[in-house]
Amino acid sequence: MAKLWAIIKREYLERVRSKWFLIATFLGPLFFAAIIIVPAWLASRSRATTEVYNITILDATGTNFGQRLAVAIAGDTTDKKKIPAVRNLPPAELTQAESLATRDVMHKGKVGYLVVDQRTVAGEAAHYAGRNASSIPDMSQLRNALRETILAQRLETIGIDNSRTKQLTFIPLDFSTERITERGRGGSGVASVIFGFAIGFLLYMTIIIYGQTIMSSVIEEKTSRVAEVVMSSVPTDTLLAGKVLGVGAVGLTQQILWVATTYVLLKLRAPIMAKFGAPPMTFGLPEISMGAAILFLLFFVLGFIFYSALYAAVGSAVNSEQEARQAATPLMIMIVFAGVFIQPVLLNPTGTIAQVLSLLPITSPIIMPIRMAVTGVPPLEMTGSIVLLIVGCLAALWLASRIYRVGLLMYGKRPTMKEMARWVSYAR
Amino acid sequence: MTEYAIDIVDVTKRFAEHTAVRNLTLRVPTGSVYGLLGPNGAGKTTTIRMILNIIAPDSGKIHIFGRPSSDTKITERLGYLPEERGLYRKMQVRRVLKFLAELKGVRGREAEKRIDEWLVRLSLKTPEKDWGLAKIDELSRGMQQKVQFIGTLLHDPDLVILDEPFSGLDPINAQALKDTVVDLKKRGKTVIFSTHLMDNAERLCDSVCIIARGEKVLDGAVTEVKEEHGQRNIALALEGDGAHGVASILRDNSLVRRADDSNRFFEIEMAPGADPQALLRRIVESGASVQRFEMIQPSLHQIFLQKVGAQGIEEGMTGHG
Repeated sequence: MAKLWAIIKREYLERVRSKWFLIATFLGPLFFAAIIIVPAWLASRSRATTEVYNITILDATGTNFGQRLAVAIAGDTTDKKKIPAVRNLPPAELTQAESLATRDVMHKGKVGYLVVDQRTVAGEAAHYAGRNASSIPDMSQLRNALRETILAQRLETIGIDNSRTKQLTFIPLDFSTERITERGRGGSGVASVIFGFAIGFLLYMTIIIYGQTIMSSVIEEKTSRVAEVVMSSVPTDTLLAGKVLGVGAVGLTQQILWVATTYVLLKLRAPIMAKFGAPPMTFGLPEISMGAAILFLLFFVLGFIFYSALYAAVGSAVNSEQEARQAATPLMIMIVFAGVFIQPVLLNPTGTIAQVLSLLPITSPIIMPIRMAVTGVPPLEMTGSIVLLIVGCLAALWLASRIYRVGLLMYGKRPTMKEMARWVSYAR
Repeated sequence: MTEYAIDIVDVTKRFAEHTAVRNLTLRVPTGSVYGLLGPNGAGKTTTIRMILNIIAPDSGKIHIFGRPSSDTKITERLGYLPEERGLYRKMQVRRVLKFLAELKGVRGREAEKRIDEWLVRLSLKTPEKDWGLAKIDELSRGMQQKVQFIGTLLHDPDLVILDEPFSGLDPINAQALKDTVVDLKKRGKTVIFSTHLMDNAERLCDSVCIIARGEKVLDGAVTEVKEEHGQRNIALALEGDGAHGVASILRDNSLVRRADDSNRFFEIEMAPGADPQALLRRIVESGASVQRFEMIQPSLHQIFLQKVGAQGIEEGMTGHG
């Protein structure tokens, strides 16, 4: 036990002391902050840009439709600059005016031009051409303004006066969404998806980073031949266990620091967002119960043990980092396979794919926590997933310890899969 | 104290393609310096790894100080210096040593105290410079070897196992190692080392075991082994360049069974029934100026060549070192 502790201590302290750990630990939250703030900032950008005002309206209706449309596009602003320019012209001159306006856009004078005519007043068609034609928010603002103006025109023709039409057509709707799970209502839909993604991504990254850390650590011990000295003092199983636990503790330390600082950053999010010029948004963090937190931790620990044991086995079988990169490909494929399904599972957390993947030990450490974040998981599935993952861990440890103790003493050419299979059958 | 530090009985270890050690039985008396001799690939390292319980034998029994080698308490009484040496390169010297000490059950202040003593003793810690605070990486190769010795001996083991300890050592460290071995023996410790350098073994060892192709060829106390191989050997040293004329005499199979030619010095094994006096007469008649002609015990090197034969040489035996 004391020897296991000595190994854990060495693995832990040597890593926590390293510059790399400090850098990653402090850059991590910045990275997560970026993940949280950038989407919100992009969302705020999804209001129409100022470009939408910088257009010309070619009005061939012979009425003041264009003028009213310009006011509608500008919305409630009083800024003169934000009201698009209007040119009234007879329908016959439209073709020539359009080609002039096109040239103007090409020479970066205006962003685009909007053509309105009798068919527009009738509510049938309007035409826009411009550099921002692919901007969804810009186009939807133009569409809304057109609808609003047409509607106002129609209301006027049935005798409703100007001031009333403004009242009638003004609908400042705030559309909020909320998630309902088997356990009832909780958090906003967007928040839980972001939370689920963050959890999945965090586990995914940690397993890859620390799995490879263990692999490198094993390779270092093997190539520097320290392994033999250590093996003469402790059983290989103890060495393997000490490595997995020591490096795992480093990963856990880092995650705790990350989660804590990210939480603080989230609390400070509103002021930060304000600095970016984004309007305050309500963003309720999903409430995490103690039980859920313990389950997250359990999946992290088990998933980590599963993959790091296999990474250690690969590290012991090869002779250099270069060889390791190749030899670890199957493991990488397993993890990336789980990573690829993060999004589909987020979108459909109760589907068959999600159910199956959250039972398989190679994917469940990443997929199950995501499901837990975005939906309720039936206790039976949860139990099954944990039991299968524990079985998977034991199998991985058994396999790894057998490859490990033979591999560490084998130098020379990289073993084939067949040779490694034979190692497993060696007594010791 | 049991009589034998190591008691190996009928041990066999097979790997996929070959048998590394076959039916090996050997006993290392407590308090002796024991040499495990053999060409590369003879099974020395495999034997040592089995003694250290790094790998387990397929059959047979190994006892260390009367306890099974798998007894975890026993490992704390063993010190091991592997053939290929290396340490955690990015780690501070003191921390590496502390870690190695902890693995052997020496902890805390006691470990710190011993580390200090050893660092001073091997002049890695002087009033001007404390290399203990440097990283392994920053040390010269010779200093790294010193650190590795310290790691092997820090827990004051009763049985020290050195695998090819002289390979890659500079002369100063090699001498330090020899002194250490002598010192350990004086303090009643048992030292076992493997080597293919017979000169070192002959000077240091009380007993030896020669193995080749996984099997024991012979073992016993060095003096006994030499006596068993009789006084049929002759040391011949010539003055000037008389060697030329002598060469043809030494090729005479009725007189000489084997001659080890070191230019001015020859170790000659007489043919069965041949008379050494006849050989001396022939040499004198050839006109060579004899500086030394002495009946000697065969050197371990000669015995080794005789027992293991050319095969040993092919497998990488390098002879004198």
